[in-house]
Amino acid sequence: MGDSYGGGYSRTSYNAGGGDDAGGFVYGGSQGGSQSGAGKGYGDDTLRPVTIKQVIEADQAYPDAPFRIDGLEVTQVTFVGMVRAISPQTTNVTFRLDDGTSVIEVKQWLDADKQDDTSKQAFALDSYVRVWGRLKSFNNKRHVGAHVIKPVTDYNEVQYHLLEATYCHLFFTKGAPGGGDGAGGGANGGGNDSMFVDGGYGAGGGDVPMNDGLRTVSARARQVYQWLTNAEGGNEGVHANLIAQAMKMSVGEALKCGEELTSAGVTYTTIDDETFAILDY
Amino acid sequence: MESISTPRISSQLIDSYVGQNVMVVGKVQQLRGDTAVIDAEGQITANLNRDAHLVNGNAAQIIGKVLPDLSIKVMSSVDLGNNVDFKVAQAVVDATHQYRDLFVFDASKGGMMMG
Repeated sequence: MGDSYGGGYSRTSYNAGGGDDAGGFVYGGSQGGSQSGAGKGYGDDTLRPVTIKQVIEADQAYPDAPFRIDGLEVTQVTFVGMVRAISPQTTNVTFRLDDGTSVIEVKQWLDADKQDDTSKQAFALDSYVRVWGRLKSFNNKRHVGAHVIKPVTDYNEVQYHLLEATYCHLFFTKGAPGGGDGAGGGANGGGNDSMFVDGGYGAGGGDVPMNDGLRTVSARARQVYQWLTNAEGGNEGVHANLIAQAMKMSVGEALKCGEELTSAGVTYTTIDDETFAILDY
Repeated sequence: MESISTPRISSQLIDSYVGQNVMVVGKVQQLRGDTAVIDAEGQITANLNRDAHLVNGNAAQIIGKVLPDLSIKVMSSVDLGNNVDFKVAQAVVDATHQYRDLFVFDASKGGMMMG
């Protein structure tokens, strides 16, 4: 589980960086695309655990633009909710789901060929279900088009999901947890910290041992740090121009990341203020 | 969609939610007629509705309104069986209040514009 988490999240966090400097066009960054080489398509799809409130508050850069949560495009989402209402329509079944954070409509489209299957699928009112689906907007009304809806048989899944959604939010807004003490280092988040130790470390970024100082820096700066650990340059360090080139970021951003890393005590400046080297100790 | 939340709380937080709808996950300690005592970091008295089917000793999720005497007038209750990790439930309560942005539409903000 830890491994697959690491893979999924660390790639997406790349997109996070792209989103920040490219003004919201997450896919504009070449990093995301280079993974699949297929440009924008299913290869760039993400599946993010969310609360329903996050779905309601997801914004769009312009009408019909992709939805964003925490500034990141979301394609597919998964969430849990209690079934509040079921209304069968001719072409779909519309559910109203409530997870305690908000209520949203979820539509499951009926497949004419498999009429029997879908009509048999029934959920009890007030029971919890998990939805995997895509955020949609129709006539200015937001709903989720469900690929799959399944009943939740173990209530712990509900709790776990909410914590996972929190974890993802923190991962994208504050970066991966540095070490053992998990998401955000919250003082009273004891329970969720222990839950995510494995995933958290893996998410930090591959084979580079996570340095304590990296805990506080942005995801982008952490990527720069990772790159620096493998970069040629020896004791002289690497100039911000080269970092910018390698990381496909602006020089200003490279400098910002460098300064962030330096003030976190994990790099230092060498021949001038714009040349950074890893601080080994 | 309404911008209404029923925040997950424990008995430690109940006095800040008088008059509001909340959700509590806890262990049923006592069932007497229409009243249940639920332990969620402390005891909460729940005034059940007719169709409640809670089980003594099991976990339960109740949704209802916090009354001035800090009991809860239950609108919906679900028996959750005996396999609920209350430490995780408490972690969710903590996360709810530490990261309210993800979980709670504040009533004071009133009607949100929906996209």
